[in-house]
Amino acid sequence: MTTTNEDQLTKLDRMRYIKNRSSANLALLAIVFDVLYFVLLYQSDVGNYYYTIITGASIVYNLLFLLFGFLAEEGVKNYKSGYSYLLLAMGIIQVIRIFIVPMQAHNTVVTVSSVDTPALGNAKFTWMVIFLILSAVCLVASAVINYSKCRTLGNYLKSLENKAA
Amino acid sequence: MAQLNLQHIDKIYDNNVQAVFDFNLDVKDGELIVLVGPSGCGKSTTLRMAAGLEDISAGKLLLDGEDITAKPAKDRDMAMVFQSYALYGHMTVYENMAFSLTLRKENPNVIHKKVMAAAEILGLTDQLNKKPAQLSGGQRQRVAMGRSIVRNPKVFLFDEPLSNLDAKLRGATRREILLLHKRLQATMLYVTHDQTEALTLADRIVCMSMGHVQQIGTPIELYDQPANTFVAGFIGSPPMNFFDVKVSGDELTGKNFKASLTPEEKALLAPYQGKEITLGVRPEDIAEGNEFKVKVTNNENLGMTTLLHGHIGDATSADLKVTTKLKGWANYKRNDIVSLTFTRKHFFDKETTNAIRKGE
Repeated sequence: MTTTNEDQLTKLDRMRYIKNRSSANLALLAIVFDVLYFVLLYQSDVGNYYYTIITGASIVYNLLFLLFGFLAEEGVKNYKSGYSYLLLAMGIIQVIRIFIVPMQAHNTVVTVSSVDTPALGNAKFTWMVIFLILSAVCLVASAVINYSKCRTLGNYLKSLENKAA
Repeated sequence: MAQLNLQHIDKIYDNNVQAVFDFNLDVKDGELIVLVGPSGCGKSTTLRMAAGLEDISAGKLLLDGEDITAKPAKDRDMAMVFQSYALYGHMTVYENMAFSLTLRKENPNVIHKKVMAAAEILGLTDQLNKKPAQLSGGQRQRVAMGRSIVRNPKVFLFDEPLSNLDAKLRGATRREILLLHKRLQATMLYVTHDQTEALTLADRIVCMSMGHVQQIGTPIELYDQPANTFVAGFIGSPPMNFFDVKVSGDELTGKNFKASLTPEEKALLAPYQGKEITLGVRPEDIAEGNEFKVKVTNNENLGMTTLLHGHIGDATSADLKVTTKLKGWANYKRNDIVSLTFTRKHFFDKETTNAIRKGE
């Protein structure tokens, strides 16, 4: 199907009234992956055998992540370009997090009933890394899409203003 | 657009209460029909049957010749505008208007064009990003209309759409509906209990009472030639005055007054000589003159006109109460005696309540 100029223009004009759902939904999806990550984390024996201040900080960060995640989701829904930077930062932090709790817990060996085992098993570690990566990808994609849409919409609104003037 | 035919429609509820009796109406293409009547007369039930929201107990409903009696509401290609607007509070005006098309999975660009066109017609372009709670009643009703327009239905159904608005807004929105009808040339069925709305909007009016159609006609027909005392009393504000009178020679004799008959009126009432009939006179068909005297009970100045309420003679019985609409500003006081005359009369059979007309 070919896209005409008129179609493009209509698509642009639609942005004035349609919310940025793609970015908002990606941000929500990132939250869901983060929730899956910390459900796995708290399900594991990390708390019993590998409790450090980092684990406590991870809990606090998860709460902050939820707060800023929902805030950013509402922001991008309404084409607020500033939230793109927040989402991008959150995405980068998600990637860094891989090397903190899951990685360190996985590398830590604890002795249970005289048997040495990693504090975080292979399967759980793999899933947790996958969830963090997926969450990061969603956040970065949301940020990029929002930024691009905000610019496009901004330019279009400017052109409308110029036309009116 | 479309033709709608309602043939011998009855509505009987499960508790055996019959709300509509043998309703027949042919709505022409592009016609605006107003169903009018007091509360409980069956007008909304008829509209809901047309929309498919109520089952039709008997009779047929045809749209462009196709029998749609048993078709579900969603397949009838009709759009209904409700008194309560029925807008989604969490959606913006744009989303509300686009909703039905989004459900049909239409192309978003096509939806956008339709919504923008409807918003332009209704003057809602600046309100598209607002939520219904941020709009006035009139604007909300326009959104509800816009939601119907984007669907481009064959028939528009309006169920007392102006009843929630204040008097000023009602007048403005009424004019907008009329302009909308002229612009869209759409077939519309409109329900109201307000006779002013009926008279100003309708191509034809269906006047109903107790589930029965009393008269179908143009606004001027219903006003000028009411079929019976019900229509005569319902259409027109203030309502028509009714008096029990006896036809005696070339005059009518009431309890406390006499009114002369013109030769045409005398000929019309020839079969009723010596019998009692009901005389109907609209308040605006009474002028200052010397036919009878009225004892004033109340004088209401409306600017251009004055409503004068009183009793004919000294009587106080209900059937001698009279309301007149005099031109200009009058300052009569209670118990003043005013000489008046009937300038136009309507005659009704006392037993059947039907209008007495030539050749009937």
